[in-house]
Amino acid sequence: MIGDAVERSLRSSQVLIPVSELLSNAAGSRMPDVQSDLLTDEIARRVVAACPTSALKVDEAAGRTHLILNYGECIACSRCVAVGNGAFRYAESVARCGVQKEALIRRWEIQSRAEVVQDEPLLSQVAEEIRSLVGQALNIRQVDAGSCNGCEAEIVALTNPYYDLERFGIHFVASPKHADMLLVTGPVTRNMAAALKYSYDAVPSPKLVVAVGACGCSGGIFGGSHVVVGPVDAVIPVDGYIPGCPPTPSMLLAGIVHVLRPLLLPSRRRRS
Amino acid sequence: MSVTVPNSELGVSQELDLLRAANTRLVSIFGSADDNRELYVHYLIDVDGREYRMFRSRVTGPIPSATPITPSAAWYERELHDQYGIECLGHPDPRPLLFHENWPGNIHPMIDYASHVPWAEGQYQFLQVQGAGVCEVPVGPIHAGIIEPGHFRFSVVGDTVLHLELRHFYTHKGAEKLFENTPVMDGVMIAESVSGDNCFSHAVAYCQAIESAFGISVPPRAQALRLIGLELERMIAHIADVGALCGDVGFSVPAAYTARIKETLLRASTRFFGTRFWRGMAVPGGVTRDFSSAEASEFARIATAAAREFGEMARLILHTSSVQSRFESTGILTAEVTRQLGVVGPVARASGIRLDVRCDHPSGRYRDINVDVPLYKYGDVLARARIRIDETAISMRLIDETLKQLPAGSVLVPVPLSGNVEACSAVESPRGELLYWVRIRDGKIARCHIKSPSFQNWPALPLAMPGNIIADFPLINKSFNLSYSGCDR
Repeated sequence: MIGDAVERSLRSSQVLIPVSELLSNAAGSRMPDVQSDLLTDEIARRVVAACPTSALKVDEAAGRTHLILNYGECIACSRCVAVGNGAFRYAESVARCGVQKEALIRRWEIQSRAEVVQDEPLLSQVAEEIRSLVGQALNIRQVDAGSCNGCEAEIVALTNPYYDLERFGIHFVASPKHADMLLVTGPVTRNMAAALKYSYDAVPSPKLVVAVGACGCSGGIFGGSHVVVGPVDAVIPVDGYIPGCPPTPSMLLAGIVHVLRPLLLPSRRRRS
Repeated sequence: MSVTVPNSELGVSQELDLLRAANTRLVSIFGSADDNRELYVHYLIDVDGREYRMFRSRVTGPIPSATPITPSAAWYERELHDQYGIECLGHPDPRPLLFHENWPGNIHPMIDYASHVPWAEGQYQFLQVQGAGVCEVPVGPIHAGIIEPGHFRFSVVGDTVLHLELRHFYTHKGAEKLFENTPVMDGVMIAESVSGDNCFSHAVAYCQAIESAFGISVPPRAQALRLIGLELERMIAHIADVGALCGDVGFSVPAAYTARIKETLLRASTRFFGTRFWRGMAVPGGVTRDFSSAEASEFARIATAAAREFGEMARLILHTSSVQSRFESTGILTAEVTRQLGVVGPVARASGIRLDVRCDHPSGRYRDINVDVPLYKYGDVLARARIRIDETAISMRLIDETLKQLPAGSVLVPVPLSGNVEACSAVESPRGELLYWVRIRDGKIARCHIKSPSFQNWPALPLAMPGNIIADFPLINKSFNLSYSGCDR
């Protein structure tokens, strides 16, 4: 019967998603994107009122009004899409995965209907990063510091035959002592703060830390709780942030790879 | 003995008498404070397996413990003390539950408001098993794998487990406190983040409680879509569980294959509803997304194919002798223990206890249909695997039947949001009976209690361990598949 199971598996069709289609694909994440040419002052105020966290804000300075969208605080409730009159839609891709905390924030000037800073990492750049990873290895220790297990469900999905993280040489390991990177989910609870700190200390240097999900980036919906210490960076230093509630497997992959960028660039130079 | 249960306020000792009766089952115990900060204890009881009855009593001092009458009360009463400072006299184990040594024992967050809680220190006392050759093995809170945190303390002789003590609540996020003063329409987002893998069950239970409190009924089409979401969530959970059980006995081909089937269903949800886990679908008043009849039949085709593939793979798994030898007679939970601890869901049904909210306390579309409830009596890992395999096929049938007779009409009605009301509602989540009780004041949640199946079932896991070898623990634990976050809340 073992043979039958193996045979059945071998006969099944290939489902692996090619790298080109994987890139930060945010389908199903319900993260918002802004159609800036449709943005009006009225819509901006309406979406800010509808937002249950402080992910959306209006900032007025020197006669100019800015709409601010902080992906790190966004719990992907999609209310802005519902009331945004077309100016807000579901993002097809979220390239801001694995970036610095400030880069999670986008800003539009409402009068000119234009995004203020356009420093989004280009998808082609992410593709290059993923390709340069092939043939190398990365060991990840995942730590749940208080998550609802939504992020865990998506991290586990990274290992399924559609995403097959192992093809990039990325493995999940059992001990922080074997790890190069900690992938931390959840708002850090009072009861997990010490264990998270011990795990961080146990990872050999140099080490990388990635905060995952709205809770890991900002505390998310649990930010105000009496038993939550704060986002991951309230307890240990963080190298990159992956927003989402929960982030899709593609966003997770893009984020993990993006954090490696400083390490990958020298090796790419070596090759060329 | 069977009693006729009145629906009134009786006083704690008389309420506890009800729990002695053979036709009652304790569902939950929780506290509340009214507008004048007077404390109450609530006992939620299932009578004759058909009707939920709620009793509440004013509390002015210590109350008698229900745990000597029914051990299933043990964790509820410890939680009651942690949250409200209500002492239960005669409780055999009054240690703090939600809070670890870092929490000052004199702060009870549901009645004391403190913006800054100081960090305390202390040493937790585990039960000591003594005797020649007894060793303690501590495991966790962080485990090897992508799993939630919790601590297990094994007392072993050689490989054989004598005793297992759980220490949980590492992911305690104060969800019940967070609900307080949240606008009714926003509360669903907290409910969705109580246990992420069962987020739709949590959302529906919350929404039904709100709708029941305001006395509104959601349109038939929304009820049908909720049923599809609930059954799909059950299928996804059960398929993943069976795959993980294979992974735990080193049978990695079916583990990968079932992961693939699960992903097919998540991708179908993305395609038709724009969400992998049905987050944001359920809101008080109905659901937020609908699909066309062409989309419905395409969805049915994908789900049916996935369920068939899983069924065929499951047959191969169950006929593999090395799997049988690992699953059979491993981690037996007896019917007696199951009943005493009030265990719910697939774990109870694998130990011969027929409990299923869809039949016993149906709501929404479930009122109009019959649900087959599979039952196994052996209570071992194999029985828990079989229950999940059978229920996956049944869930698919329910989805298929519902899609074939999808009612027409709208999927959302407005919720009035006025008045001071309260109500409870339950759904059969993939892990079992999940119940929300809400009290609403002026459009905001004044108190929300979550009876989660994981909170109910975790205390039963240690009783399935003695006599098993420690190497079988991951397998036995996986066969229960309880949520840590859902328990810790």
